[in-house]
Amino acid sequence: MASNWLGRWSALRRGGVLGINARNRNFVMRYNPRSKYPLVDDKLTTKRLAIEAGLAVPELYGVVRFQGELTHLDRLLNGRDSFVIKPAHGSGGDGVLVITDRRRGLFVKGDGRALTLREIEYFVSNILSGVHSLGGIPDAAMIEYRVRPSRLFESISYRGVPDIRLLIFRGIPVMAMVRLPTRASDGKANLHQGAVGVGIALATGITHHGVVRDAKIDDHPDFGTPLTGHLIPDWEALLAVGARCADLTGLGYCGVDLVIDEDLGPMMLEVNARPGLAIQIANQYGLEQRLRGIEAMTQLPRDIRERIALAEELDAASQPAPAALLPGGAGVAPRHER
Amino acid sequence: MAAPVFARLSPLAIIALLLAGLGLGVTLLKAVRDQVPLLPELTTSVWTVEARIGFEGTGGSSKVEFLLPPPVSMTRAIDEHFVSRGYGLSILEADGRPRKATWTLRRTPRSQQGLYYQVKVVDDEVATLASVPPFPPVPDYQEPLGSAIQSVLSRARAQSADVFSFTEQTLLILADGDDENVKVIRNQDGRPSWEHRVAEILAGARIPTRIAYGLPLDRPQVDARLIPWLEVHNGESWQGYDAATGTPGYPPGFFIWRYDSPDLLSARGVRNVQLGFSTTQTRVPQMDVTELTGAAFRTQPLGLDLTRLPVSVQNLYQVALMLPLGALVVAFMRVVVGVPTFGTFMPILIALAFRETQLAWGLALFLTLVLVGLSLRLMLTQLRLLLVPRLAAILVVVVCLMLAITVLSDRLGLEQGLSIALFPMVILTMTIERMSIVWDERGFGATFKETLGSLVVAICGYFVMKEPHLSHLMFYFPELLLVVLAVTLMLGAYSGYRLTELVRFSALARAR
Repeated sequence: MASNWLGRWSALRRGGVLGINARNRNFVMRYNPRSKYPLVDDKLTTKRLAIEAGLAVPELYGVVRFQGELTHLDRLLNGRDSFVIKPAHGSGGDGVLVITDRRRGLFVKGDGRALTLREIEYFVSNILSGVHSLGGIPDAAMIEYRVRPSRLFESISYRGVPDIRLLIFRGIPVMAMVRLPTRASDGKANLHQGAVGVGIALATGITHHGVVRDAKIDDHPDFGTPLTGHLIPDWEALLAVGARCADLTGLGYCGVDLVIDEDLGPMMLEVNARPGLAIQIANQYGLEQRLRGIEAMTQLPRDIRERIALAEELDAASQPAPAALLPGGAGVAPRHER
Repeated sequence: MAAPVFARLSPLAIIALLLAGLGLGVTLLKAVRDQVPLLPELTTSVWTVEARIGFEGTGGSSKVEFLLPPPVSMTRAIDEHFVSRGYGLSILEADGRPRKATWTLRRTPRSQQGLYYQVKVVDDEVATLASVPPFPPVPDYQEPLGSAIQSVLSRARAQSADVFSFTEQTLLILADGDDENVKVIRNQDGRPSWEHRVAEILAGARIPTRIAYGLPLDRPQVDARLIPWLEVHNGESWQGYDAATGTPGYPPGFFIWRYDSPDLLSARGVRNVQLGFSTTQTRVPQMDVTELTGAAFRTQPLGLDLTRLPVSVQNLYQVALMLPLGALVVAFMRVVVGVPTFGTFMPILIALAFRETQLAWGLALFLTLVLVGLSLRLMLTQLRLLLVPRLAAILVVVVCLMLAITVLSDRLGLEQGLSIALFPMVILTMTIERMSIVWDERGFGATFKETLGSLVVAICGYFVMKEPHLSHLMFYFPELLLVVLAVTLMLGAYSGYRLTELVRFSALARAR
């Protein structure tokens, strides 16, 4: 029994798998100055920073800050058939309400259920009370553009919008995955709610390996379609957006969440100062080695293009078997010249 | 394995080592020097010294006065009591003078009577009165005694450097029965004891002496008498000497009852007065002795002695000192094991409540409260209340539930149900609220997992906090908090895997 645990421990160590304690102590605490946290904890601030930097973000329709403003909610939502409501200080995708349609005065949720205006008011009121924010402090509710999922994820995504998580360390992307909503996750792209995480080879932008609830899978749990071999379009552009987001928050170790809108292309959703570790399972690769490698570098390139090149180089050097493009079907050809 | 994990922590490791060293050092000091026991069940030997005063009455009124041991001897005593059926007893305490017990009876029967005084004495160093005596005048010796004494004294003087060595030499010479001078001295009668003779001889050199009467406490005795013992003062302190051999020191455990006179009794209206002592050894919990003699107190200012605080405050600290241990358990379970819990310190507060309710009842009550509270909370969702009033409403519901359970168990005669009032209500309220939100957002599975995790941590905390050895250690050695702090600091620097991560990342472990 004990030797089994020890064996597992040393296997993980050999694989350079990063644990939560090590992540917190050696990376989050060391590279993320506390003063920068408000920039990412408040999604409104992150959004403002991104807009100032000229990065695409989902358009903000309005903000509700006080219970008294709830009476104006219908005016705020007037003319919006689809939108997303989320807490400005939410974490882990909790407290996100996606409205995809309006029918006969009712608001239709992503899963098809209809809500009355009063129910939406209650939802917003809960957000304002701080139910979803860390520490229960009063919060603001953001109402923003609902991202239209890119068609290329249609075969591997159950409703909702898949998002792409890039892990950025000292400005260099170190690992990536795409999170695909499933029936179990209620159409949300949150791993802890049952969404599928699929690792992406940084060097090529091609998906490989999947993970659902910490277990490895190869096919989408709802559709049975293969998860590997898909090419993410505009991959290098996405990496560049991720790296720039990390720059403007000033966080040394962060996760950047991006989405690809069918019409508007890549957009930044949020930045996370304590990115989760499941990305390692999705990529079947431990983080520690890459992080230590970048940590050891005294001189890092400042130019975005060079940084992406470095990331791809590191990835190609360490990834044992680069994922192959799915023959024929599901893969999508790159739109831009590489 | 541990080496790479802790390899870069040197400054922290040093701080932790210092803290732990300090805490353990003071603890050991208290345990070894002051004999504060590390385990509550340790016992120590205590001597019970009993004085029996036997006499026959004359039919009329009687009065027996008995001198009690001097205050300096009573510092070794942990308990005393008097057995005197039917007699009036008064104890006279005079400043600086030995206490006197007086028994009186109007009509004393003509039969054999017995009065008893018992004192429990700790096996400790001999305590003797530190008074400074005047130099005695040189006695007027008769011849040939005078010249014999002078020759002994001058021989001793030639072989000694100070009062104590002089005394020793004198006693050594006097111990030699073949010496002509000694023969002369020994042949003289008229002194109550050899100690008195020696005292008289030492007075010839103007050395202050006194005779201490007491009882050796090395073996149980029956019907013993006080024995005289020679004490010599060198201008600074008193030193006991075996007058027969010249060895400095006292008989083992010597308990001094009176100086200069063996007379303890004075009686009126009685006949055939006898005084006898008996001694016996018993074992008592070391804790009692420590508290009664205040041994832990001596370590101040380094050591803390909580037994000197008012009892209500002591009770508070009995609990409060266990909280850091509970927090340590929570930290360990979260950082090393990786158990998910509701709130950081909710489990220890629940564990504290378990301490009072007993585990099985605590669990049953807790689960009942949480289940009913949670279902009511899920109903409240329909009402769409604002957060703070909703929390207040749940609090009211929780208190109502507790009241209901208390009243119900009172009716059913279940005493344990009454202790439910010890549950931290506000914490329960917050727990229920958080549970309902986790339920809403992540479903039953996550709620169940976190509840189970919280309970597991609470149960571990309960077993640690109720462990009598630990609570004894924390209460009598609060310095151990420094050790707890050191361990907590080390936990804070732990960057190895959590045990749950070994399972979580098992797909990665297998891949390689």
